[in-house]
Amino acid sequence: MEEIIKKRIKQVLKGDQNAFGEIVELYKDKVFQVCFRMLGNRHEAEDMAQEAFVRAYVNIQSFHINMKFSTWLYRIATNLCIDRIRKKKPDFYLDAEVAGTEGLNMYSQVAADTVLPEDELESLELQETIQAEILKLPEKYRSPIVLKYIEELSLKEISEILDLPVGTVKTRIHRGREALRNQLRHL
Amino acid sequence: MQCPDEIIDLMHQYLDEDIKTEDEISLREHLRSCQDCQVHFHELKKAVALVQSTSSMAAPAGFTQRVTANLPKEKRKAGAER
Repeated sequence: MEEIIKKRIKQVLKGDQNAFGEIVELYKDKVFQVCFRMLGNRHEAEDMAQEAFVRAYVNIQSFHINMKFSTWLYRIATNLCIDRIRKKKPDFYLDAEVAGTEGLNMYSQVAADTVLPEDELESLELQETIQAEILKLPEKYRSPIVLKYIEELSLKEISEILDLPVGTVKTRIHRGREALRNQLRHL
Repeated sequence: MQCPDEIIDLMHQYLDEDIKTEDEISLREHLRSCQDCQVHFHELKKAVALVQSTSSMAAPAGFTQRVTANLPKEKRKAGAER
């Protein structure tokens, strides 16, 4: 995987935009997923994920070829999401969809013309609830929790993405887990 | 009953898969005798399992085309001289 990526990056550096398209294809789902879990809104998540790739392209010269590309890309994406969360004002939600319906729309798209059986509906509701609880986490706990449990990254990789010492990442994950324990224990 | 904070720390070390063998043994011993900590540990593991159970997601259709359409046309020509 990393070998293919490195080859593509060299092509991008020579001005080949199609090679960058292939990189986007390989990472779009992961990047979109991080953004969605961080922001909870499909539209915003797509904006941020798009922006992350455009920035990666514009700044590709600053990517060190010895680094893991996904780490660098995750760093760009999480920083964008963190900035967005910090800038968010309450009135941002005025024209947004009702909280909690977002993911449901998305999941129902998949099976648009089939009626969902009851247990699937239940599991959709459960998914909505869990996502809502993730969004209640303060941003500094949310990022490492999403990277660890949604993207299944190692503590070391998370520390590189968030530019924090491993010890700090651990502490934040511990606090995030305690917060989630309180929020999810009654489910 | 109030258990020492170290027990909670050990639970987190266990969940990080970064716990010394002797610490894991003392955690297990404590859990055997302490109902409150058993519940706490169970709730932590449940929270993790629930977060992990969320479905993986795919980027919206047309995502890549939209990215490439938004790339700056003139790339700075570093080493692309003719």
